[in-house]
Amino acid sequence: MSPLERGALWWERFTSQPLYVLAAMLALLVVYTMGVYRKQMWFMLKSLRRNLLRSILTSLATVVLVLVVTLVWSILYFLDKATSEKAKDLKAIVTERWQIPSQMPFAYAASLSEGAAARPTDVRPDDNMTWQFYGGTIDPGKRTRENTVFFFCMDPRKLLTMMDGLDELTLQERSDLDHAIDVMVKDKRKVVIGKDRLAAMKKRVGERIKVTSLNYKDIDLEVEIIAEFPDGRYNQSAIMNRDYLNDAMDDYNAKQKAKGLPTHPLTMKSLNLVWLRVPDTDAYQRVADQIMSSSLYSSPAVKCETASSGISSFLDAYRDLLWGMRWLLVPSILVTMSLVIANAISISVRERRVEMAVLKVLGFSPGQIMALVLGEAILIGGLSGAFSSGATYVLINQVAGGLKFPIAFFPAFLIPEDALWWGPMIGIGTAVAGSFFPAWSARTVKVSDVFSKIS
Amino acid sequence: MTETFSISPRLFGPLGFFAGLMVLLAIVGKVPISYNVRNLLVRWRITLMTALAFTLVVALMTVMLAFVNGMYRLTLGSGQPGNVVVLADGATDELFSNLGYRDTSDVERHPGVLRDDKERPLASWEVYIVVNQPIPNAGDGKRKRRFLQVRGLDDPARAGAVHNLPLHPGGSWFSAAGVQPLRGDVGGEQAIQAVLGEGIARELGKDQGRDSLHVGEFFEVGPRKWVVVGILQSSGSTFDSEIWAKRQIVGPMFGKENYTTVVLRTADATAARETAQDLTANFKKSAVQAQVETDYYEKLNTTNQQFLGAIIVVAIIMAVGGVFGVMNTMFAAISQRTRDIGVMRIIGFARWQILVSFFLESLLIALVGGLLGCAIGSLANGWTASSIISGGQGGGKSVVLKLIVDADILLTGLLFSLGMGCVGGFIPALSAMRLRPLEAVR
Repeated sequence: MSPLERGALWWERFTSQPLYVLAAMLALLVVYTMGVYRKQMWFMLKSLRRNLLRSILTSLATVVLVLVVTLVWSILYFLDKATSEKAKDLKAIVTERWQIPSQMPFAYAASLSEGAAARPTDVRPDDNMTWQFYGGTIDPGKRTRENTVFFFCMDPRKLLTMMDGLDELTLQERSDLDHAIDVMVKDKRKVVIGKDRLAAMKKRVGERIKVTSLNYKDIDLEVEIIAEFPDGRYNQSAIMNRDYLNDAMDDYNAKQKAKGLPTHPLTMKSLNLVWLRVPDTDAYQRVADQIMSSSLYSSPAVKCETASSGISSFLDAYRDLLWGMRWLLVPSILVTMSLVIANAISISVRERRVEMAVLKVLGFSPGQIMALVLGEAILIGGLSGAFSSGATYVLINQVAGGLKFPIAFFPAFLIPEDALWWGPMIGIGTAVAGSFFPAWSARTVKVSDVFSKIS
Repeated sequence: MTETFSISPRLFGPLGFFAGLMVLLAIVGKVPISYNVRNLLVRWRITLMTALAFTLVVALMTVMLAFVNGMYRLTLGSGQPGNVVVLADGATDELFSNLGYRDTSDVERHPGVLRDDKERPLASWEVYIVVNQPIPNAGDGKRKRRFLQVRGLDDPARAGAVHNLPLHPGGSWFSAAGVQPLRGDVGGEQAIQAVLGEGIARELGKDQGRDSLHVGEFFEVGPRKWVVVGILQSSGSTFDSEIWAKRQIVGPMFGKENYTTVVLRTADATAARETAQDLTANFKKSAVQAQVETDYYEKLNTTNQQFLGAIIVVAIIMAVGGVFGVMNTMFAAISQRTRDIGVMRIIGFARWQILVSFFLESLLIALVGGLLGCAIGSLANGWTASSIISGGQGGGKSVVLKLIVDADILLTGLLFSLGMGCVGGFIPALSAMRLRPLEAVR
């Protein structure tokens, strides 16, 4: 995707969210206000500069705490997005009805890919993809997590059309992946592996590896690594042409048959998942009905659910952990931030009571004094928040390659672009909450009291 | 209770350090502590806000550590040191194991395996299945499905003996048939008899608007109705989240014809280790992977370790924020008391005594905040939460665990708070020490 296309996509997403538009308007209003009240702004900046150490310490506290909130919200944001039902262009998953892991006969693949459409009036999915899981080690003598690799065995041509997150590639990345797919289609022994998995296995593109299977016992496959996935969510993944696994299984069974021995135990269980893309919820419902009511899938029975519903089931085990992150961790951090800011502003107001009294004598109204104190807090909170979320975005996405947090099957979480406005908003919100009472106290400074104490 | 309030030796070092440091500072400091206490009381709002920041950080850390502690206790409590778990070779988890009885039946005849009073080997033949179950009456916006862990057994009484899991009074093991008439009529629909762990009994009870399921009550899993015939005394183990039923019924029903696991009871931990090694190396009929049960559950600690790592990172980042907060407070305290410091220096207090005085003050705030945080965090003791434990290579077990706040966690929180106070208070105390007396009093 070219930078122009990315920009257009970003703008489309931005303008489609009322909250973003509101935030942008608010930011413009702030900028406008800063222009109109530039004298007051200058005054606030000078006040912050007067005790630079305190301003820096408050700012640093805000930066680190916004960092934690940004990380936690990024995880929750991703999971919420993954589990929220879409109305258009949604994906459905077909799996074995009762058992985890799902194991269906590969014979189901052809008809399930068509959404079990049997009559001309039946709805067919726009696109589909089958997954078979093949796991193995490159060192059977001493198997470790590092030398183990799990392949998604699939039709390579479906990689770009059906896999999530590959629609935001650069032109170069897309071209490289296209080329790799062509090679995989022509030679089923070629595979693509993510860069972190390659690093863990101490392998590089161009090398051949022999994988001794863990789940497909006695079906060991030799593959050649022809490319690595673009940096991102597939850093730990690996894909293989499904024909390679299925042909190897057929060969194995033919040999067994010739020896009068039973076929491989996974012969009728090699299909794990079928993905379907449907245009809308109506189409999904009809496809799901077609599949669930079909007599083709009785042993084992299958179920069809939306991708978001399927992911929700996997996240069920983490529900209390996620609840704790959302409702204990984040609020506690926000309160801590407010306390730190409240502390700093309280100290500042206390030290500047004479200054407040002088301002009142010079004609400043109580409201203006309160606005000055609040403005200082907002300035420090907003700027620190903006810096923190921006730095988190760059460091986590560009340097660390994502936030590695062990939830479900997600290898890493990226900081969304939305986080860029979370930071300033969190900073400003906590600054307002923390400085309101100190600002109120500054507003109510009595000139006579202050000067009588001095005299 | 004794175990809950025992302190692990690794904490003695830091505990001794901080206790010694505070006592030493109190003894050698010539500035009376009452001076610091009064100052804290005079600036009570700021003191309170700073202490509250410590309180929140420590309380949060205590709850998070209690969660991980609960997970560790669960995995530790699930394995018996004298048991050997036999899985198919290469299987990273029970879920992926596939043992043919014909090839592996001899494992229970290993000389290391104990026998019961009828001279039968103390071996439990099991199939472990995870069932994807729709949740009854799931409302809009709520989760629609859950994973249930079903363990199919040949002989439940023997399995109970092997796993050391008795039933609660009033219950019984499922019958040899494994089913009973649903409505009393023998020819009618049959319900599958099930023995439930306490945790899953509570979870399934919630579906029906009750605290827990009890013996004689019905529920649905898969395409059949099930009846509770017994509740396991399984609290504190992964079996707490399992449904036990007749293997010959649940295996075929959910598509697992073969066994996944054999658990063998041996005399003790040494015998278990020898038996496991012997089976792995010398059992020739089929390649199996035998391991001591405690080792098997130890490997399921990968998720716990990852959670613990994440908690440590979050706690440290929050602590850094707290440190900046306390620095702010202490710098403000110093700037407000510059004249005090000048006077103290003129009347003969040494620089280091000023340092000790301010350092002690920040430690006092940290101590109060930390104690309060520990007190609030300890309220989480006994909360239940769902989670997952796994070896990090797929599979794993969904579990219901209890959060455990023990002495180690409370002490860790307190030491963490004191550490924050130390770091946050030392630099301001140094700056107080460097003030020149005459400049300070001007």
